[in-house]
Amino acid sequence: MGNVGLVLGLVVAGSVLFAADKIILKKPPESLKKYYPPQSQKFEFLSNMYSMSTSFYAVNLNINEGNWDKALEWAKKLKETYLKTSKMVPEWKDYFKPKLAEDFVKAVQSKNVDRVIEASKKLGQTCSRCHQDNQIAVKLVFHFPSFDEIKLEDPIEFMEVKTGDYMKKLSNSMKALRIYLEQGNTEMAQEAGTNFVERARGLRAMCSKCHTQKISEEAILGKAFEDALAKIEDLITAEKPNKDEIFKNLALIGNTCTKCHNVHLIPEMVQEAFAK
Amino acid sequence: MTLLLILIAVVVSGCERLERVFVEEDLLERPPAKRCADCHADIFKEWEKSRHALAWKSEQFRRETENFRKLKCLSCHAPHQVDPEKKPALRVEFREDGVSCVACHFKEETKAMHGPLKVWSPPHPSKKDLSYIRSNFCAGCHQETYKEWKLTKVQKTCQACHMPSLGKKDLIQKFPFYLLHLAKPRHSHEFPALKAKPEDVEVRIEGNRLVLKNVGVPHNLPTADQGDPKLYLIAEVFYADGRRRTVRKVFSPQAKTALVYGRPKVVPLPKGEIREVRVKILRRLAWSDKRELIKEVTLRTPSP
Ligand code: HEC
Ligand code: HEC
Ligand code: HEC
Ligand code: HEC
Ligand code: HEC
Ligand code: HEC
Ligand code: HEC
Ligand code: HEC
Repeated sequence: MGNVGLVLGLVVAGSVLFAADKIILKKPPESLKKYYPPQSQKFEFLSNMYSMSTSFYAVNLNINEGNWDKALEWAKKLKETYLKTSKMVPEWKDYFKPKLAEDFVKAVQSKNVDRVIEASKKLGQTCSRCHQDNQIAVKLVFHFPSFDEIKLEDPIEFMEVKTGDYMKKLSNSMKALRIYLEQGNTEMAQEAGTNFVERARGLRAMCSKCHTQKISEEAILGKAFEDALAKIEDLITAEKPNKDEIFKNLALIGNTCTKCHNVHLIPEMVQEAFAK
Repeated sequence: MTLLLILIAVVVSGCERLERVFVEEDLLERPPAKRCADCHADIFKEWEKSRHALAWKSEQFRRETENFRKLKCLSCHAPHQVDPEKKPALRVEFREDGVSCVACHFKEETKAMHGPLKVWSPPHPSKKDLSYIRSNFCAGCHQETYKEWKLTKVQKTCQACHMPSLGKKDLIQKFPFYLLHLAKPRHSHEFPALKAKPEDVEVRIEGNRLVLKNVGVPHNLPTADQGDPKLYLIAEVFYADGRRRTVRKVFSPQAKTALVYGRPKVVPLPKGEIREVRVKILRRLAWSDKRELIKEVTLRTPSP
């Protein structure tokens, strides 16, 4: 019996973890939108997924305990949800093999462990195939809000710009600061430095467009970031700015940029690619 | 005629039973704000103009929540019940009413309208509740602003400034019932954002620096929770050698650069012998794209 647990367990886990030497992200189909906000707050598609996964495990659990009647109930429930789900997204109809769900129920009915293992493997493969093709893209598109909709006012030019353009202005003034310092052009370095500091402070305005808890903000733009900006502001106004000190603080700030990119950039890149 | 009947009824049956006769049950079943206007017509008209009434319908809010997709954004913009210092839960019905009459006044626990007054209100039970005149009533949603206000130790409440007194007026306008009630202290339900007066912001030159201080608005200037209002400084600096430089700065609560009450804010000016600085201070409210002038002043350095 332990055998069954192991094999079924693997199949179910296999629906989420998969190995591949190449990942392809396909744009999620239009009709999937119906099951996600703003059109629906109920996440119907995703909750069917959890339901099927629970049913799968319930069959496994009950067979291990020799409770075939209960196992059969769960198998039937799995089949029912599977059929229902197959009708939700017409573009994905072919991923579903209703006959394999029926075979799975029959296998449980037969109370033959080997048949159950065989049938669950086959059914499980239909889950994995779809997950390999679609799950990552769906997660990135439907579970992350978009940066593209967000506008920020540039504190230097007093103008509203999109996130991407803000980032360009921010990093350009950071680069300009470096360049002018390297060239020994103090006055221009001062201007670029002030612009950079103001823009970096302005980054915070972005966080509250998605986050409602200040701790998220502080986790990345915390005291170290704040202090480094204040230091730079101070250092650049000196008669002969201390280049090395400024570069040291810029590196600290660079770390916070990277931290934020690590958390937010991947979904943004995928969404942007699909938007084109 | 109706009035006469009511008066007779009062005399004959006393207030106790009359209250049950005139109760309008639906008022306790969380009706839309429009329903309150049947009697509280004036208050409704004020509220309709307020940002609270637009908290859900606001186009900017719709856009920033991606069509209400960001679920954690919704509760303060369509609250179920307002209690002091408690972040509200999201309402199920009539979300387009935003921060509504029912949300602020109706309490599930007592099934009554709570408010600052002791009233006789046959259509619905009412309860005098002093939390309505305290700043912490607003704190569940205006969390950051409330924290800032508390630190200033200023006694004046949010209501005293943002719900200014309208003197004594009728709470209801419905005929003939208003004839049965005396005028009572009323407070504006337009919840005006107000605007800092020129003297609320001090500006001085100290050597090569401009020093600003918020001395009149007892929270940050500007203040915000989720909104992104701005204060702009435009300073034209004239030097002894004839040079001219323009310094522009934005102060924003989200960037943590707003003017904290009573705390000087230093703005360095480009080096040189300064003769004169022409200062303009403007503001933009969270929901608006209009920049409005708060103060304009020309500062001269004392001639040596
Ligand atoms: C036609 C495509 C498709 C098929 C077939 C399919 N799934 Fe899914 N599944 C998805 C997508 C897409 C997601 C991601 C949904 C989301 O995150 O909103 C998902 C997510 C899941 C998740 C949630 C993973 C997580 O951590 O969020 C589970 C569990 C799951 N599926 C189980 C199953 C099982 C079990 C089957 C087969 C009986 C199955 N799925 C068949 C497309 C499919
Ligand atoms: C929210 C956290 C966040 C922080 C903090 C942040 N970024 Fe970004 N950055 C993003 C996002 C999201 C994008 C993708 C924007 C888009 O393309 O719409 C991005 C994109 C960029 C880009 C590419 C712009 C383009 O479209 O070509 C650069 C360069 C960049 N950031 C620099 C920086 C620098 C420098 C800092 C620190 C001083 C920084 N970022 C801080 C989130 C952040
Ligand atoms: C477009 C929306 C968006 C913006 C803007 C945004 N984030 Fe996030 N952030 C997310 C999402 C989505 C997650 C994943 C966790 C979740 O769903 O809340 C996340 C996660 C995080 C996390 C880890 C989990 C947590 O909540 O602590 C941190 C820290 C964080 N963000 C910081 C920031 C900072 C700092 C900024 C501003 C510079 C920012 N974010 C701007 C959408 C956003
Ligand atoms: C249920 C949450 C909530 C409570 C309680 C609340 N507010 Fe608000 N308030 C909001 C929201 C949300 C907005 C922004 C509406 C918008 O513009 O979309 C707002 C906006 C405002 C504004 C800005 C007006 C403008 O024109 O910019 C003022 C002033 C204000 N509230 C004062 C108060 C006062 C005073 C109290 C207490 C008596 C209070 N609020 C209680 C949620 C609340
Ligand atoms: C804790 C209560 C609360 C939550 C949660 C909340 N807001 Fe608000 N919101 C307010 C208040 C209060 C204001 C009034 C201006 C201010 O003080 O920032 C406001 C104002 C706004 C404004 C400016 C007014 C307008 O209508 O244009 C926008 C936009 C906004 N909020 C968007 C959001 C978004 C997006 C989220 C989720 C990330 C969110 N809010 C979550 C309380 C809240
Ligand atoms: C049929 C008429 C009528 C309607 C409709 C009505 N009220 Fe009243 N309300 C009254 C009367 C009468 C008073 C007492 C007036 C007085 O004493 O001057 C009152 C008083 C109040 C008070 C003051 C309570 C206090 O203790 O300070 C509040 C708050 C209130 N109503 C809220 C509401 C709300 C919210 C609605 C809509 C859900 C509503 N009312 C609808 C008749 C009405
Ligand atoms: C002494 C009067 C006073 C008191 C007390 C006061 N405020 Fe203000 N508040 C103002 C003034 C003046 C402004 C306008 C500032 C400006 O010019 O932008 C303002 C602006 C605001 C705004 C900004 C609206 C926007 O869109 O930018 C909000 C929100 C606000 N106050 C909420 C509160 C809350 C909540 C409290 C209590 C904790 C409070 N205020 C206490 C005078 C006051
Ligand atoms: C943001 C919360 C809020 C909203 C929305 C709101 N009120 Fe009030 N209301 C208050 C507060 C706070 C007071 C007490 C003001 C004071 O005494 O300083 C008050 C006072 C009152 C009073 C007593 C008379 C007065 O003017 O002080 C009545 C009656 C009343 N409200 C009815 C209503 C009705 C009807 C609506 C909708 C049209 C409404 N309120 C919307 C918070 C609110």
